[in-house]
Amino acid sequence: MPAPLGPTVFIVDDDEAVRKAVSRLLRSAGMAVAVFASPGEFLAQYDPVTSGCVVLDITMPDFDGLQLQATLGEKGSMLPIIFLTGHGDVSKSVQAMKRGAFDFLSKPVKDKDLLTAVRAAIERNAVARQQQAQLSAIRARLDSLTPREREVLEHVVSGKLNKQIAGDLGITKATVKMHRAHVMAKMGVQSVAELARLTERCGIRGNGQ
Amino acid sequence: MSWITIVWSINVGACLTLATMYLAVWCRERQSFVHLLFSCIAASAALIAAYELQLIRADTPEAYGAILRWRPLSTWVLVLSLVAFTRLYLRAGRSWMALSACGLQTLTVIVNFVFTPNLYYGEITAVRQIPWGGETASIPLGTPSPWSLLNQATLLLLLAFFVDATITVWRRGDRERALIVGGTTTFFGAIVAAQFALVILGIIEVPFFASFAYLGIVVALGYQLCNDAVRAADLASELQVGEERFRRVVEAAPSAMIMVNHEGQITLANLQAEKTFGYSREELLGRPIEMLVPERLRSGYRDFRHDYLCHPQARPMGAEQELFGQRKDGSEVPVEIGLSPIHTSNGPLVLASIVDITQRKLAELEAARQHHDLAHLARVSTVGELSNSLAHELTHPITAILSNAQAAQRFLAHDDVDLDEVRDILNDIVTQDQRAGEVIHRLRLLLRKGEPQAQCDDVDLNEVIRDVVKLMRSDLINRNVTVDTDLAQNLPAVTGDRVQLQQVLLNLMVNGCEAMADHYSSECRLLIASQLQNGAVRVSVTDRGGGIPEKNMEQVFERFFTTKKEGMGLGLSVCRTIIDAHRGKIWATNNVGSGATFHFRLPFVGVGKRQ
Repeated sequence: MPAPLGPTVFIVDDDEAVRKAVSRLLRSAGMAVAVFASPGEFLAQYDPVTSGCVVLDITMPDFDGLQLQATLGEKGSMLPIIFLTGHGDVSKSVQAMKRGAFDFLSKPVKDKDLLTAVRAAIERNAVARQQQAQLSAIRARLDSLTPREREVLEHVVSGKLNKQIAGDLGITKATVKMHRAHVMAKMGVQSVAELARLTERCGIRGNGQ
Repeated sequence: MSWITIVWSINVGACLTLATMYLAVWCRERQSFVHLLFSCIAASAALIAAYELQLIRADTPEAYGAILRWRPLSTWVLVLSLVAFTRLYLRAGRSWMALSACGLQTLTVIVNFVFTPNLYYGEITAVRQIPWGGETASIPLGTPSPWSLLNQATLLLLLAFFVDATITVWRRGDRERALIVGGTTTFFGAIVAAQFALVILGIIEVPFFASFAYLGIVVALGYQLCNDAVRAADLASELQVGEERFRRVVEAAPSAMIMVNHEGQITLANLQAEKTFGYSREELLGRPIEMLVPERLRSGYRDFRHDYLCHPQARPMGAEQELFGQRKDGSEVPVEIGLSPIHTSNGPLVLASIVDITQRKLAELEAARQHHDLAHLARVSTVGELSNSLAHELTHPITAILSNAQAAQRFLAHDDVDLDEVRDILNDIVTQDQRAGEVIHRLRLLLRKGEPQAQCDDVDLNEVIRDVVKLMRSDLINRNVTVDTDLAQNLPAVTGDRVQLQQVLLNLMVNGCEAMADHYSSECRLLIASQLQNGAVRVSVTDRGGGIPEKNMEQVFERFFTTKKEGMGLGLSVCRTIIDAHRGKIWATNNVGSGATFHFRLPFVGVGKRQ
């Protein structure tokens, strides 16, 4: 699929009429849509960088909505999934819920319900993507540290004094100071508190208690 | 009184009596020429006996010669009658022999009247009185005529004719007639021939007594004819008893029986016929049988009756056809008719046995109605099982319609309305509405009860298969079952109830799906195939389930047989009822690999109708 600039709603439904109608509804609300007749077709063109959400029919022949949800999960997709369900799909819906479906809408679906859900999903995706972007930036900065700087960082965020760090690492206090300055510069922070917040988001904990 | 006179007179009397009796018989039955011929034989034998008595009493050669001169004439009558009798009565004897003997005999008569005194003697010189049995009898003395050899030759030829006829009759197996008629005639004929030769040549001196040989012949023939008459009388009385018995049996028969002659007139009707048709017997007898056939069927019936008389044989009338009779009040009665031809000398008669099947028809209708009700019940139950999936089938078009309509509303709210888009949307809404309508229509058809035996159309089984696959689409998706079809092209149509046939297929498909679900089959596939086979259309549904245990192979079609926890055991039994009613067959087989296949076969249009 040509990677759209804005968020896209991916509609996966085996019924052509439903597919077409839902896509029209979303387009009437000014959303970009892409339609697929089967989960296979969608996966074949799936690009992880795309943003938006998926509107997925839960019951399809061969490869159904639940399986697509599982596959996307394995691929680390962040696209929220809104399931469209018919009558009697309760057991499938429960499974989908457990796997973190964003929402369920039963067919026939009202325009407000669908649009609200889709907007919310896109919003969620945008936030998630933003967080993901920030995290990536922090990780990139962390990756730019030398191993020694990394060690120093871990000691710093655990609240140790330069003297203690120098003792722990067997280096001079002056050297610690120098590394510390590099770390603060590379991570783009002004204070230790700021540094601690960033590293915590990346799951790095203090070291050398 | 002279014993000679008495004995010869008795001979004459006996022969005349027999002659008179059989003449009387012939007078009553002019066609039986045998009796007339016998009468002639007996009469001429009497005449010969009378001549012989006169010869015995003759005292001059002239008188003797004059009497003897008349004798060959009566012999001529006797011989001709006897030959004719043999030919007619025994139906034997070569015709050339008969003609030659008659010709020779005629010749002897002519010769007899040409020469004097007669055929036998050139001259009778004297009459000698000889003592005979205590009395005197006249015997002639003279020179035998060489023409008497002609007489002997005739006699020999006659003997040969009788011997030949006797042998023929004997070989034919009619030994009684051969012995009594042929044997006696030959025997006494030989005596006559021998006596003539011996007396005329003067070898023995006795008066002519050939009349007794003739008497022997007359008595033997008379005895045989009398035998025949007795036998005929026996037969006649037996026939009368038989006919009386026949009438009683017919009268007591539980079904209406009517006999019709070759002109189509009723000649006999029994009590039940009166009851069935409401006419009294007097109103039926002698009237045309058509009066009992409904007006609308009469012309066809006339053709049938004509054909039947051309090829009469005992058989039911109008196979594969419903027959109706017409009562006196004009109402129609459904009947079954058996026909048996009876051959009589008055032309062929046809005995029709007519059974009023009103009650049976009602019972059949009732049974059909019950089958119909049960089939409907089973169908509703099957459709009920599918209700979720069927609701799903409606969900799709309804979802599409709602989303389309709301999209249109939104588009219309925009400043620059894209009318093309809205037009497309409206078209789609119409299409989807029709789609939903079709689902409801199909469902309504399936749920409709209809009338028993009413829906008989030409049905394309491929269409039935496609319809049912469409109907089950959602259910198949839910069950994760893939359907493959292998449909024969140009399949001829079958006659039947489309909905019931859909029901059969629906049942078989649902069963197949359930079998695969119970078996946890790794790959759930149903194969539905149609093909033309041996003049029938065959449809088979193959699943990949666990198959059918051999011991249940026959039971699966029995009512209330089920292996499912919640099953009623109706589905397949109803399938069988439906297929049976369509004159088809349904059966199951296990596949080589896994699973089972259910087949049904239906005769296609034209197979049954052509007859």
